[in-house]
Amino acid sequence: MNPLLFLRRVWAFVVRDWRLELSYRMQFFLRVMSILILVTTFFFVSKIFVGFADPRFTQWRDPLAAWLTGMAMLNYFMTGFSSLANAIRQEQVQGTLESVLMTPISVPTVIVASSAWDFVQATLFSSLYLVFGWLFFNVHYQGNYLLALAFLLLTTVVLSCLGILSASFAMVFKRGDPFGIFLGTGSALFSGVFFPTQLIRDYAGNTVASISRVLPATYGLDGIRRVLIEGQGLSQVRQPLISLLVFLAVLLPLSLWVFNRAVRRAKREGSLIQY
Amino acid sequence: MSVDHISKTYPVPFLRLKKALKRKFKPPVEAVRDVSFEVREGEIFGLIGPNGAGKTTLTKMIATLIQPTEGNVSVKGFDSVRDDTAVRRNVGLAGAEERSFYWRLNVEQNLLFFARLHGLSGDQATSRITDLLQMLQLEDSARKRFAELSTGNKQRLSVARAMLADPPVLLLDEPTRSLDPLAAARMRATIKSLAQDEAKRVTVFLTSHNLAEVEELCDRVAIISKGEIKALDAPRNLRATHSDNEKVSITFTVDDAGKIEAALREAFSAHPFTLGRSDVSDAWTLAFSRKTNDQTLDTVLRVLHTTACLVKGVECERATLLEVLEHYEQTEQENEKQEENPGK
Repeated sequence: MNPLLFLRRVWAFVVRDWRLELSYRMQFFLRVMSILILVTTFFFVSKIFVGFADPRFTQWRDPLAAWLTGMAMLNYFMTGFSSLANAIRQEQVQGTLESVLMTPISVPTVIVASSAWDFVQATLFSSLYLVFGWLFFNVHYQGNYLLALAFLLLTTVVLSCLGILSASFAMVFKRGDPFGIFLGTGSALFSGVFFPTQLIRDYAGNTVASISRVLPATYGLDGIRRVLIEGQGLSQVRQPLISLLVFLAVLLPLSLWVFNRAVRRAKREGSLIQY
Repeated sequence: MSVDHISKTYPVPFLRLKKALKRKFKPPVEAVRDVSFEVREGEIFGLIGPNGAGKTTLTKMIATLIQPTEGNVSVKGFDSVRDDTAVRRNVGLAGAEERSFYWRLNVEQNLLFFARLHGLSGDQATSRITDLLQMLQLEDSARKRFAELSTGNKQRLSVARAMLADPPVLLLDEPTRSLDPLAAARMRATIKSLAQDEAKRVTVFLTSHNLAEVEELCDRVAIISKGEIKALDAPRNLRATHSDNEKVSITFTVDDAGKIEAALREAFSAHPFTLGRSDVSDAWTLAFSRKTNDQTLDTVLRVLHTTACLVKGVECERATLLEVLEHYEQTEQENEKQEENPGK
């Protein structure tokens, strides 16, 4: 694959989506406002728990910092596993999927390019959670930012693999994507976005707690909080890092294979533009 | 471009599951059945047939958007399934589907997006888009949102997009649909010039319901019905094969029309003629049909000459493509009835 051509195509998608976004200016403004309102709400709720954190939960001594990192990452992760399916579905609804697939563009390029703008947006909105916390509510982060970024990227790529599976589902079954439903709500509940995952074991037992161990978002969030809130270094975050790499090694080839099969099946059934 | 024994049966989704659950299901739809033909470089090839005949499925199979169940499509030597990316590099498709653009982007932005997907650089894309907008008379609409375009302009934009990467093969699905007569004529001239341009020699595969357009443009025409090619030839030959009769109409002036009737009755005892007043003032029209190249016309002209007529014009009209198409449709329906009631 010619890297220049690849980048040119990804850029074309980003510009297209940026222009489409510009045609709905109000939506962007409302989203920024809703993040500010949410951060403010978390600030006030966190005040209830100041000084009450269980000493076992070192990442939760400042609940606002934990929530804001959780929300920022959840926003990014949700983009990872829903953006491609949404993009495919939108192209199906608009009727433009055939026109896009009529160009000499490869399947991996479609995957990356279709989600590119969503990731640009997710980066902006996720940053807003952290920036608003720092700017208005005195939340401070520490540690190696590059390592945190590495965690963020790795987790996002792993979740994007699940997103590719989800898009494959949208390609064939059109609606009722189970990946989006289970991973969306499941990650918010079991990955430690709003509370420590140890609490699940305490209250619901080991079997239910094991759900959080099979979700990649759990390891991503844990790694990022260890770095940004506890200030841990590379040697201390090896365990979540290795777990994420194992997820990646399994899910990346699997998801690409499934997506290819889904495109072929839709072409066989002649259902590319159906939704 | 070659289409080799291609068939397409749309599978029943989740057939095994439906069978296992003993659910009712519609039988698989056989959209295209064992179709073969070749289209030469620089040729304008027409595909006509009634709605649901398989035209769109066939076009989409050539465009790699639908996979054939059997057979191969090859464009410039590339197989549409194995080398689909290479095929897409060589093919431009202008479909009849209106919902294939981004409605909130303007004409230029839409074209720029697809040009970049075709791998054109910024400068190449801009220059190509300018040329195409000019060629298809869309310059005034360049900054208009797609949603604001008239149906005809949307159709023209679809053709412009198909030509973005200057492909050697163009697949045009009803290219003049919704165009006003002038714009349609211009579009036909553009299509013709693309195929005749010695430097480009663009191959055009065209489907249309406008049979006059197909006759005017196409070097060869295939008639498709119920997924099968029923006939394939040059329009002139198709008409000739279907019927060797032609209608003749002669316009003339004469002092006494009664003399003509008597003279014709004398020359032809059984041949039916229709004699009536022409639209041209003081003129008469004599209409009759004859077998192509028989002596009737010559004899009639002699009769007119001997009765002191002044012949103003002679028009001969062979069977139209519509009649050819109707003939195949009728045959198809008769065959179906025969199959349903074999005893009758």
